[in-house]
Amino acid sequence: MTNQSTNAGAAEVTAIDTHARWPLLYLIGAGLVWLIVSGVLSLIAAIQLHSPAYLAECAWFTHGRVEAMRETAFIYGWAANAGLAIGTWLLGRLGGYPLRGLNWFVVGGVFWNLAVAAGLIGIAAGEMTSFAVLQLPRAVQPLLVLSYAATAISGVLAWSGRKRAGTFASQWYAVAALFLFPWFLTATQVVLLWTPVRGVVQAVAAAWYAEGVFALWLAPLALAGAYYVVPKVSGRTLPSYEAAPVAFWTLIVVGTWTAGRHLVGGPVPAWLPTMGVVGTSLLLFHFLVLAFNFKIALTPAGTAMNFLRFGLLAYLLYGVFTTIASFRGVAAHAQFTFVTVALEQLGFYGAVSMLFFGTLYYMVPRLTGRDWALPGLASAHFVTASTGLVLALVALAVAGETQGNLLLEAKATYAEIFQQVSVPLMIHTAAQFLLIAANLLLLVNFAMSAWACGEKACASAAGLLRSSSSMEASAS
Amino acid sequence: MSAPTGSDPRVEQAPVTDEALLDSHDKLLGRQPDDKAHYRLLPLNLLFLFSGLIFFAGTYLGRYAGHFHPSVFNEHGQPPKAGAAVAVAVDPLVLGKNVYGQVCAACHQPNGQGLPPAFPPLAGSEWVAGSEERLIRILLHGLQGPIKVKGTEFNGAMPPVGPGSGFNLNPEKVAAVLTFVRKEWGGIATPVAAAKVAEIRAKDGTRPPLTVADLEKIP
Ligand code: HEC
Repeated sequence: MTNQSTNAGAAEVTAIDTHARWPLLYLIGAGLVWLIVSGVLSLIAAIQLHSPAYLAECAWFTHGRVEAMRETAFIYGWAANAGLAIGTWLLGRLGGYPLRGLNWFVVGGVFWNLAVAAGLIGIAAGEMTSFAVLQLPRAVQPLLVLSYAATAISGVLAWSGRKRAGTFASQWYAVAALFLFPWFLTATQVVLLWTPVRGVVQAVAAAWYAEGVFALWLAPLALAGAYYVVPKVSGRTLPSYEAAPVAFWTLIVVGTWTAGRHLVGGPVPAWLPTMGVVGTSLLLFHFLVLAFNFKIALTPAGTAMNFLRFGLLAYLLYGVFTTIASFRGVAAHAQFTFVTVALEQLGFYGAVSMLFFGTLYYMVPRLTGRDWALPGLASAHFVTASTGLVLALVALAVAGETQGNLLLEAKATYAEIFQQVSVPLMIHTAAQFLLIAANLLLLVNFAMSAWACGEKACASAAGLLRSSSSMEASAS
Repeated sequence: MSAPTGSDPRVEQAPVTDEALLDSHDKLLGRQPDDKAHYRLLPLNLLFLFSGLIFFAGTYLGRYAGHFHPSVFNEHGQPPKAGAAVAVAVDPLVLGKNVYGQVCAACHQPNGQGLPPAFPPLAGSEWVAGSEERLIRILLHGLQGPIKVKGTEFNGAMPPVGPGSGFNLNPEKVAAVLTFVRKEWGGIATPVAAAKVAEIRAKDGTRPPLTVADLEKIP
């Protein structure tokens, strides 16, 4: 690395990257499109909170459905695509061989996105299930499992056929995510959709699943990226790395036990919410080790690191706040308010998405073999996205705090409460605008980079053709 | 070249190769020969902290888990004693109030004042404060024809509400609603026994609604 203007990306591109270029770029691109879709839906839902009449006459866009579509597009559209691309790429790179089974990867990816698209239409038509985070209609659920299995094959092959015996934290997290998700997705489908258990057990299973999506699937994929990119970019070994395995196992073992915190005050045996409190408290250890490991992310080092730093801080805050909010006394105030929404956004957007962004900023140039087409947009993306996110989270937290206090007073009616929090809710809407704008910057930048890479590939292919045909000509 | 600038939005440079990354971290986990032997399994302070968290978790679980009993819903609750009757005793006043709201309030009004001239009051009624046997029979068989309540003459028809009637209240509910009505408006605290209702019902069977004349024959 001698000159800032050299094609820095190409310097570190290996055969592993070029081999998997288009399949991985396809998944990332699909994810980014879903991110914009979910952003727009999120904006509609945000507007409806302070102006309930907005689109109220159109059944497809009533608040409940918009909210369900937003969540689905975000988790199964954006996060799933980006996370799978990141996890598979990491397993390939760290495994040391070019990825295998890429045709399965592509087929799975195509069908996964078709399933999500069909599911979204189904939700708009009112066919969603009644379980948060698992709202895709029953009809597309089997396709979800099958296409996921196909997509995950490449990552699993890269893991089982890896070059070295020793493994790295990124690999643990990525492999755990790849394996655990289909397991608890199918288990949940069985007990909630195919042979539904009855009564309260449904709520317990749904809470367990929702927690699993975060703790056993998306967060591990996001952490896999962070564990790889942070030491790569900073060029340093992670401090206290020897504690990383314990942090990993803590997350895997107690991660979903925290689900009980959603059931505080519900008609469930007391030990379930208590277990939730205990789970979140134990998980503090996981967060603490991460804080030690990622101390070095505090040194400034470019856009990828900016995103990673933001994401890691958000992840730590998420850990601390969920622990506080899990205790019964606090939960009584925070439950069913925007505080819960803010916490969820802190986890899914502040932590997972920002970590994904950071990893993508590092990963995409290596796939395309060239710098980002519009480097200026990358830093603009960081500024806009972090501003929008902080604004949204603070607005939701303020609204939730007021709302929580009013809800406990039997005197205030529901409409009055929403009146009282309309200002923070409007700020929240403005923040959603910012977030859409921010993510459009990334989408444009990504599209331009991929396009430029495609042109180059075509050009070199054409060049090859030309030279071979001229050779033929001269031979004849 | 110049040192990497923090604000450079271009692609991030990677000073370490994947091999070097894996090597240096493997060493920390003790998987690689490590000449200097400077790895520790878990830093001592973290170990302490982890034990502390586990200790807290264990204590908290022991205290607030409701003994892991499936039917303890309150974190301070105690599981039911082994062998104790599983059927939960229902407070007849609560049950009675419920039944009253569902059945009687439509005619006698939620406050028991009735709706003259059609429905007589229960509050302050000499019938309510009077014989238990008569009250039970009013509910089991119904009542029709003129009746004087608190000095006012009423002439309507009250349907039977007991077993086999349109309301089909079982003896327990009949007893409960009467217990409630007597306590609330008759100033009588002694509960009406369900067994007594069942006994009268068995003795009388079904019969047409009573009149005041019939009532007066009952003690
Ligand atoms: C469909 C309306 C109706 C319902 C329901 C009804 N009653 Fe009556 N009740 C009457 C009428 C009418 C009379 C007066 C009958 C008469 O004029 O002979 C009466 C008379 C009585 C009397 C005696 C007179 C008095 O006011 O003390 C009692 C006691 C009584 N009802 C109790 C009850 C109880 C307890 C219930 C609920 C289980 C009940 N009633 C449900 C209409 C009703």
